[in-house]
Amino acid sequence: MMSLASYLIISLVLFVVGLVVMIARKNIVAILLGIELILNAAALNFVAYSRYVTNNLDGHIFSLFIIVVAAAEAAVGLAIVIRFFQIKETIHIDEATQLRN
Amino acid sequence: MIQQLFGYLSLYIPEVICVILMTTLLVAESTVKDENASRGKIIGYALAVLLVTLGFLFSNLGEAPEHIFHNAITIDPFSTLIKIVMVVGTMGAIFLSYSSKDIYPNLKSEFSIMAVGVLIGGMLLASANNMLTLYLGIETLSILSYVMSSFKRDEASSTEAGMKYALYGGLSAGVALYGISHLYGALGSIQFVEMVAKLPSLQGTSLAIVLVSFVLFFVGIGYKISLFPFHMWTPDVYQGSPIPVTAFFAIVPKMAGLAALIRISMIFFSEVQVLTVSWVGLMIVISAMTMTVGNVTAIGQNSVKRLLAFSSIGHVGLMILGVVVLNDVGIRAILFYGIVYMFMTLIAFYITSHLSDMYGTDSYDVFRGLIYKHPVMAIIMAAVLFSLAGMPPFSGFIAKFNIFSVVIEKKLYGIAIVAAINSVISLYYYVKLAKTMIFGQADGEVKVAGFTPMNQAVIIGLFIPVLFLGIFWEKVMVISGNAVIYIK
Repeated sequence: MMSLASYLIISLVLFVVGLVVMIARKNIVAILLGIELILNAAALNFVAYSRYVTNNLDGHIFSLFIIVVAAAEAAVGLAIVIRFFQIKETIHIDEATQLRN
Repeated sequence: MIQQLFGYLSLYIPEVICVILMTTLLVAESTVKDENASRGKIIGYALAVLLVTLGFLFSNLGEAPEHIFHNAITIDPFSTLIKIVMVVGTMGAIFLSYSSKDIYPNLKSEFSIMAVGVLIGGMLLASANNMLTLYLGIETLSILSYVMSSFKRDEASSTEAGMKYALYGGLSAGVALYGISHLYGALGSIQFVEMVAKLPSLQGTSLAIVLVSFVLFFVGIGYKISLFPFHMWTPDVYQGSPIPVTAFFAIVPKMAGLAALIRISMIFFSEVQVLTVSWVGLMIVISAMTMTVGNVTAIGQNSVKRLLAFSSIGHVGLMILGVVVLNDVGIRAILFYGIVYMFMTLIAFYITSHLSDMYGTDSYDVFRGLIYKHPVMAIIMAAVLFSLAGMPPFSGFIAKFNIFSVVIEKKLYGIAIVAAINSVISLYYYVKLAKTMIFGQADGEVKVAGFTPMNQAVIIGLFIPVLFLGIFWEKVMVISGNAVIYIK
């Protein structure tokens, strides 16, 4: 029997892994994957709370919207990364050094 | 039911017009044959329709506030006034994009499509009444902004700006969303009103969870209006983006984010003692840090775009002091500040844009000796800089004065002193730019091509409010004072 706590722990783990990926990885595509992990952690939370605590449909609808928005964000993010690759011929985040103080 | 829906729609006309405008622009942009000839017409059409939107917004200003679409959206004078500011800002940016050389000619009509899209997101955010509309507003605003900032797609700097914006934006939206999900779990709803009703009954662990969740949630909004720990992207994105886009970013997303911050603060944090105290404390610290970081870092800059980016961080830091007091007078001060700030920012970016188009760079040197070439423009720019610094005859002074008066009324002397010191610091770098303009040696008698009679007329037209709101400010103050938030 799964309890609310198991879902919350999984989503917390996803969230932390996403954060660590965003900070530690230097590959821009991997960083975009980290964003997806964080968004999915939130979506999982919404569904779990909706099922165990609040018993209304708000959470389900919210998680559907999260999936749609995450897709749109990934599309735009990847398009920009492709443009960056075409100019710089690398997707290493440390190469993004044009703008600084 | 149907009748009620149409009743709701009558309050929602401005947004509907904007959506229609965006789609028709998309169709027009992709079907026209002769691009060069029709570009002016497309932009003229966009400006005309936005003007109509403005008319409907002004007529909405007097309507009674109402929650529409099952409490998802609030139409109240507060959100309508913010929308008016955003629409004027969008019109200004679109007009600037027409003459700017910073945007590729074949992308000019696309700029207006994107700008209207961001405007729709901002409108959604300004009148959001539940967490879902708020999230959708933030994301509509953000995703199109990423595209806009990488508009100069052949240049590494612009692409890099877009990429940094997208990565920071995605992270902060995700963190905010994680906070919202726990708020939903602890408070049992995504409707603001129902969530607030649950707040007083919270105790122990769930109160702690709610506090932490609010801090996470704050990351999302704080990032959009570039408050202190989340301001790192602002100078980079502002510098890398084309100037019309920068001008747009300095106005529309900022005003929308501020509107959301004000609404959240007013709804959630005037009920429960613990939450109010911690929120006010957090906001005071963040406001002080934001102002200081923005103004101190602005001193060493050599790029005018970067300077204006840091100065906008400083201004937002001052503006959120109106949120700290959690009353209607504070909101009035912020709204007045927002209106004045919009006009000042537009003029500063207009003049910077025409100069940097001419010289191909945006360093201080392009302003050198401007007074010998274009005396009127140089005087207006100097006046706007003094107004941004908060010098008396101009409207910037009244705006800052209002914020100071609400803060001192609440006996928050410490933060008022910090704000005053920051005003002095900001005066230094604004005057430095004015000095370059007036006492610098001009490199010849070459006129700036961008200052056509039309563009000069628009700049002078935008300057009129900056000048006159410093003297005849009562009328606008009454309008801002009437624009209260409708909560129940």
